Amino acid sequence: MRYEQADNLPQLPLLQRADALDLLYVSYGLLIVGLVFASYLMGAFGWLPHDPRAMNVALINAAPFTPGHLLGTDFLGRDLQSRLILGIQAYFIPGLLAIAISIVGGSVLGILAGYRGGSLETLVTYFANLVDSFPRLVLILLVIAAFKPDIYYVMVVVGITGMPVIANLVAGKIAFLRQKSFIEAAHALGLPAHTVILKHILWFNCRAALVIQATLGMAEAILIETSLSYLGFGVQEPTPSWGNMVQAGANYFLQGNFWPSTAPAAAILATILGFQLLGDGLNNLLEGKRRR
Amino acid sequence: MKLAAVKPVSRVLARELAVTALLLAGVSVVVFAILYLAPGDPLHALGVREALGVPRTWHGQYTAWFGRVVQGDFGNSIRTGLPVLPELARVGVNTLYLTLGALALTLAIAVPIAVHAAVHGDTAGNTAATIGAYILSAVPVFWFGYIVVYVFIHQFGMFPLISGTAAKQQHAWLYFLVPIFVLGTASGTLAEMIRHLREELSRVLAEDYIRTARAKGAPVWRHAFKEGFLIPVTEIMSAKIPFLLGGAVIVEQVFNWPGMGRMAWQAAQDRDFPVIMGIALVAAAFVRSGNLLQRVVFTAVNPRASKE
Repeated sequence: MRYEQADNLPQLPLLQRADALDLLYVSYGLLIVGLVFASYLMGAFGWLPHDPRAMNVALINAAPFTPGHLLGTDFLGRDLQSRLILGIQAYFIPGLLAIAISIVGGSVLGILAGYRGGSLETLVTYFANLVDSFPRLVLILLVIAAFKPDIYYVMVVVGITGMPVIANLVAGKIAFLRQKSFIEAAHALGLPAHTVILKHILWFNCRAALVIQATLGMAEAILIETSLSYLGFGVQEPTPSWGNMVQAGANYFLQGNFWPSTAPAAAILATILGFQLLGDGLNNLLEGKRRR
Repeated sequence: MKLAAVKPVSRVLARELAVTALLLAGVSVVVFAILYLAPGDPLHALGVREALGVPRTWHGQYTAWFGRVVQGDFGNSIRTGLPVLPELARVGVNTLYLTLGALALTLAIAVPIAVHAAVHGDTAGNTAATIGAYILSAVPVFWFGYIVVYVFIHQFGMFPLISGTAAKQQHAWLYFLVPIFVLGTASGTLAEMIRHLREELSRVLAEDYIRTARAKGAPVWRHAFKEGFLIPVTEIMSAKIPFLLGGAVIVEQVFNWPGMGRMAWQAAQDRDFPVIMGIALVAAAFVRSGNLLQRVVFTAVNPRASKE
């Protein structure tokens, strides 16, 4: 009820009514997204400061700011900066694939449950609970044991396990919007169901929520990819991934050589934090969940 | 009040038990289907299948397998040849300690921050704590594990730290607590937990009945406790169990903790189908029982929920 009243009040422009902290979250997140995208392109086109596979045994485990190696070198003397940039290849496209599957599949399920209802809704709920019953990593290990798949197939699994959240969200939105007069009006005008669903429900009313879920989904995908390559199931040496870089550097960690393992760990931290803060910040700004 | 709540709980319990059984049956179908579709068939040679009496159709194989699973026979590990279920029971206890301990620790950190933020609004202190929780949640748990190991070895001279079973020396309890500490702080659930608890509690604190209670001088906390605290806490606990079990796979790997996660890693490495199937089933059963518990608490607190 509180919200309905607030809806009718004239609203200040987004930037003026926004909370400073949320703006900080979102700008940090956008900065990270920009950096990741730029680095992805650099890796894709091979614009790297060094050959990421060129070893230099005279200069192993070098500290940052070593001349010629801005971020130092790893245990084989390979340039860490180049490997960090190239490591983004390991999750960037696979992560987007997982997000796309979650969003498309989740929206379809949510529409089926929310718009059609009835036994279909029960079925979708059952599916969602079934997927949620598995710890994601355990399900992925199961799939790995069965198929020894590459990262794209793993990301299909990640995408499927991300569907219930989206389905719930879309179904909830539909349940809320159904009673609104503009949806009734759209029906009364004789608009076909797919126009109402795609345009009036998904595009006009769910896109912010879906973008938010996409950024949170990217954080999940990065976490899964780095965890798997840390565990030795993802990208294999000598191809760099942030996860296998942490793992490779870990052998030198207990001797006090923190950097080769900490550099990729810091990259993981900064990136996951960026996507998460972007998602949560956008959620506060656009959906107004937290502050009243 | 108490009496009124008893009947619905039993009714809901029966319904939820049925739903749980149905879901676990579904879980077994998914687990079976994934491994059924796996390439490679050790019984491919002509006549071997008939000689061993293994059913040919997928549903025949499923029923035979499921029948044995229900009787507690998960088969033998391909790697060690030992029966899976006793092994799982042995290591499962360790994972249970690890995940429940980590869950308790995460709650112990999240609850004070969330309650403070919900009651007092944004203050410098709890904003800093929330940002800290975000950062801690994004720390890769494997790297954090190494940091902790390093600090313990070099600062406290504890060695070898990386061994759950060899912890028969002094400070055995510490060997036990360190992985729990790592999983509890850096598993990635902390920020979300704070967010959920804070949102729910501040929503309840803004309700009319709380305002009335406050105006009457009645204890606000007692009125807000069930709806604003108990329900969200059980909700987030049951929602985060799968996540912690996933984190346990990594933490057990870092600390060589003899648990289900390490076993799952080994089984995935060796394509040890009976073991990984058993682990998936047990993990799903754990998740479902957490969920069942949450539903029971929810209904006990809110009897109206059973009348849907």
